[in-house]
Amino acid sequence: MARRLIYPLYQLGNPQLRIFRPTFSMTLVRPGKPQPQDTVQFRVSMEMTKFDVKNYLEKIYNVPVAAVRTRIQYCSNKKRNHLNQRVKRPDYKVAYVQLSQQQTFQFPDIFPEKEKQHEEGSVEAMQEKFMEDERQRQKPDPRRGGVTEWFGL
Amino acid sequence: MAAATACRLASVCRQFQSVVKISLPNKAQYSSHVLVNNYHSCIQRQNYNLHRFSRPDHARLLHTSASKWGLEEFFDLPANWGESTVKSGSPWTAKQLRAKSNEDLHKLWYVLLKEKNMLLTIEQEAKRQCVPMPSPERVKKVERSMQRLDSVVKERESALRLLQTGQEKGRPGEWRRNVFGKTIWYRFREHPVPWNMNKIYKRKRFYTPSFVTPYIRLSLEKHLKSKMRRERKEKQNQKKLSEIFPKKTAQA
Repeated sequence: MARRLIYPLYQLGNPQLRIFRPTFSMTLVRPGKPQPQDTVQFRVSMEMTKFDVKNYLEKIYNVPVAAVRTRIQYCSNKKRNHLNQRVKRPDYKVAYVQLSQQQTFQFPDIFPEKEKQHEEGSVEAMQEKFMEDERQRQKPDPRRGGVTEWFGL
Repeated sequence: MAAATACRLASVCRQFQSVVKISLPNKAQYSSHVLVNNYHSCIQRQNYNLHRFSRPDHARLLHTSASKWGLEEFFDLPANWGESTVKSGSPWTAKQLRAKSNEDLHKLWYVLLKEKNMLLTIEQEAKRQCVPMPSPERVKKVERSMQRLDSVVKERESALRLLQTGQEKGRPGEWRRNVFGKTIWYRFREHPVPWNMNKIYKRKRFYTPSFVTPYIRLSLEKHLKSKMRRERKEKQNQKKLSEIFPKKTAQA
């Protein structure tokens, strides 16, 4: 892995320094404040620089990048543990990446509501079936054509 | 009519496949089963062979690489959105990885890295929306296979280094005593200025002055005492436990 690696001192004419097996991870997050359409927000490893982010996206993901801005998000120190000591939540680096070539990005809804299918023979399924039967029983007789019950023989 | 055309299309496709000797992996196979399976590596091997034998790059007809999607690779397949569980295989074992070539391993590293990024994205989004993440065990699986892959590559590197240079470590070093009388592993690094003219290097002191000797003894004593205390505490704890749980199973 590329972590804790010391490169040879660079001298003019040496080959370009390369990273094999990078350990950097990037997390695409939904922006908290509304961003322009071509801006994508990432949480990146603390060690990554703007150039790293740009190279990472261009080389690994094949995404055209125009500009990168980064900041470090301070996380709260307020949490206390069972001994009433302060517990620091780890800080993280946020990168705002602007895409080039008129590309836009919209964070998709990756947890859409889906119809739940209960397993055969489970309590929920039985309950649902019972409720369905009850509803069926409560319905008026369709042969009467909507005529109230008290009318007629 | 439609059925007939579909049939013909399928037959044409089959011929085409037999010519190119490649099986088109669809998106589903590629991403959700990245963790496992020889199928994947098989494709890579084929790709590799294809690359090697007489097929120039511009003439490649099929792009089997997944890197064409761009930012969509940070998300799972749309078919898996909203599912409570997503199927995944077991992590790569070191034994499986040792059978691969170095190039394949480095390719696989990037596949795993992408998978990990995707899982981290899903995890973060699930945390934000306060819903359970589908199959959270995948993160650990990917991490495990990455660790194994790394260890396998390191094994190879060290073997090669031992053969070529006889160095046991990638970064040479030696045991030295510092000012406090502690023996430390000093790792060598390149200096732009030779050591005898290097002010920064000369500021470091790799010797123990004579007036420190009594303190070495004291620090040793401190270390031994703390060690003894820890052991005694552990023993007492075990004794107490065995009193509370007198059965033999509790002592193990």
